[in-house]
Amino acid sequence: MTSALLSIRNVEKHFNKYHAVDGISLDIRENEFFALLGPSGSGKTTLLRMLAGFETPTVGTILLDGKDVSRIPPNHRPINLMFQSYALFPHMTVAQNIAYGLEMEKLPRAEIKSRVEEMMEMVQLPHLAGRKPDQLSGGQRQRVALARSLAKRPRVLLLDEPLGALDKKLRGEMQLELKRIQHQFGITFIVVTHDQEEALVMADRIAILRDGKLLQHGTPLEIYEYPQTRFAADFIGVMNFFPARLVDGALRAADGSAFRATVPDTIGAGEEVLAAVRPERLHLGAGETENRLTGTVRAMAYHGLDLQVHLDTPLSPQPVMLRLTADAAEGHALSIGDTITAGWSARDTRVFAG
Amino acid sequence: MADRKPLYLMTPALVWLSLFMVIPCLLILALAFFRRGIYGGIEYDFTFENIALVFDPLYAGIFIKSAIIAGQAALIASVVGYAAAYAIAAMPKSRQPLLLFLAILPFWSNYLVRTYAWIVLLNREGLIVSVARALGYNQELPSLLYTETAVIVGLVYNYLPFVILACYAPLARMNAEITEASRDLGAGGWTTFRRITLPMTVPGIATGFVFVFVLSIGNFVTPALLGGGQFQMIGNLVYAQFLTANDWPFGAALSMALIAIMMGLLTLQTFATERASGGRVRDADG
Ligand SMILES: Nc1ncnc2c1ncn2[C@@H]1O[C@H](COP(=O)(O)OP(=O)(O)O)[C@@H](O)[C@H]1O
Ligand SMILES: [Mg+2]
Repeated sequence: MTSALLSIRNVEKHFNKYHAVDGISLDIRENEFFALLGPSGSGKTTLLRMLAGFETPTVGTILLDGKDVSRIPPNHRPINLMFQSYALFPHMTVAQNIAYGLEMEKLPRAEIKSRVEEMMEMVQLPHLAGRKPDQLSGGQRQRVALARSLAKRPRVLLLDEPLGALDKKLRGEMQLELKRIQHQFGITFIVVTHDQEEALVMADRIAILRDGKLLQHGTPLEIYEYPQTRFAADFIGVMNFFPARLVDGALRAADGSAFRATVPDTIGAGEEVLAAVRPERLHLGAGETENRLTGTVRAMAYHGLDLQVHLDTPLSPQPVMLRLTADAAEGHALSIGDTITAGWSARDTRVFAG
Repeated sequence: MADRKPLYLMTPALVWLSLFMVIPCLLILALAFFRRGIYGGIEYDFTFENIALVFDPLYAGIFIKSAIIAGQAALIASVVGYAAAYAIAAMPKSRQPLLLFLAILPFWSNYLVRTYAWIVLLNREGLIVSVARALGYNQELPSLLYTETAVIVGLVYNYLPFVILACYAPLARMNAEITEASRDLGAGGWTTFRRITLPMTVPGIATGFVFVFVLSIGNFVTPALLGGGQFQMIGNLVYAQFLTANDWPFGAALSMALIAIMMGLLTLQTFATERASGGRVRDADG
């Protein structure tokens, strides 16, 4: 990948003995909407702070356009960070907040004025120019913070949990809006989030972090359909796991039944593994699919779009979840206690080391 | 019904303040409008003479001089105190309480003792002179004690802990991400201080400044001990009216003028703090 805009090379950050970021390498392309996804404490903020220049990597380098920027202070990097707390200047108005970064560039007054107006249009806040931050709602503050960092037209905009403080509905709207703005400005966005759904919706590519390490990166589809570790499979969406053992090249489940699946080469004969399938890949009835299970309906949850059915099976101690579309659900009148059979294909079965 | 606020909890404080603050102040206010008796004492006929006398160039001059000295002391204390508070707030969080404690330690000793300590230092045979001699400086040293400078030094020293505490509070409360945001947007360290940190902590500086000014302008111990009667501040003048000149009505008039100045400043400062904290400002149209 020679077209990398930002290249993170084997970066580590140690706090005393603790490795908050532990050997991450990533290439981020021009114009990309990139998401860093991981649970709390996985090192996302620390990585972002190194990109912004507030921390220096203990090991490794960060290249921007091929030049090492690891040691350049934040005020000399064409990279801006939108802080998790938004960090608006409380003694300045919205307009003054947005103008601040432009004043630092010593732009002519008239240009600052027009750019501030443009930014306020973009985030749909021109009527609030004279307000102070504590007279704004959470959503409005978030927009001001975004406008303030974008006003400088950075090469890369870093956003630390940008939607974390917003309520669910607003978050959904802002996800689309962030994408629109990223597209409109053609600026590379790196968004940190612990919300897998958010990452799937917004990002062109996602990197999954855990304990300071990079587990996997790829497009949302790759991440969702082909998780490489059990952790990634569990962290993104919902996954049913069945303990199994590799016997004579086939997977044997706890109750003795066999699963068909592509088993990774790394797994040897006799090893304990986990077979896995997404709830929406399970279909009612045995059909023509290679794998099947039988269980009793334990609970049902109606979600409008779909019906989620929990089955008790001998395959695993956890209930198995099926997600039926409204159409499929209408065809089968299910009730609690019913015994049903569900099937899924070998193609949709993933296998992880146990 | 709106829920009742526990206003009755204020009763002891209110009673205390009215008995020992408000009533004496009102008595003094009343006193200022009566005539002095020939052998001291008070003659109860109404007059504005005492009030008028306060504005006599002689006494007005003392007011102005006191204000200048108090202003200098407050200015120096604010700069020195802010710098100290800034340094403490920049230290690791775990070490700040101890540093703060050390900074205000002198405050726990007696005011007079502290002031006498300065006499020992500044004396003609005092520590500073002795050290200068020991270092080989043999020329005649300018007198250190009983000067205006000595008074200012004493006032600054005595009230510095106030300023440190007043400035430390807003500095410690600042979210580190705010100064980082300033760096991120392209500002250097000095610009960040000038445009972000300083304006955000102005209320603390204002509180410290006004405190030192108000406490200094009415002070009579430090000018008496370190100024050595070379000059008078209002505090000394009031003291003299009550205790040596036996002119209580004029002393009362001077006190009232002093209280008026202090109240004016404290009101101004409260107002400024509220404005700067931003919460009360509505619709600052931009
Ligand atoms: N300045 C620091 N000093 C010591 N430990 C830190 C510091 N910053 C972060 N950490 C630790 O590094 C780990 C990763 O933190 P962080 O990057 O904030 O994670 P995330 O943003 O993914 O929640 C956490 O365990 C945190 O306690
Ligand atoms: Mg974080």
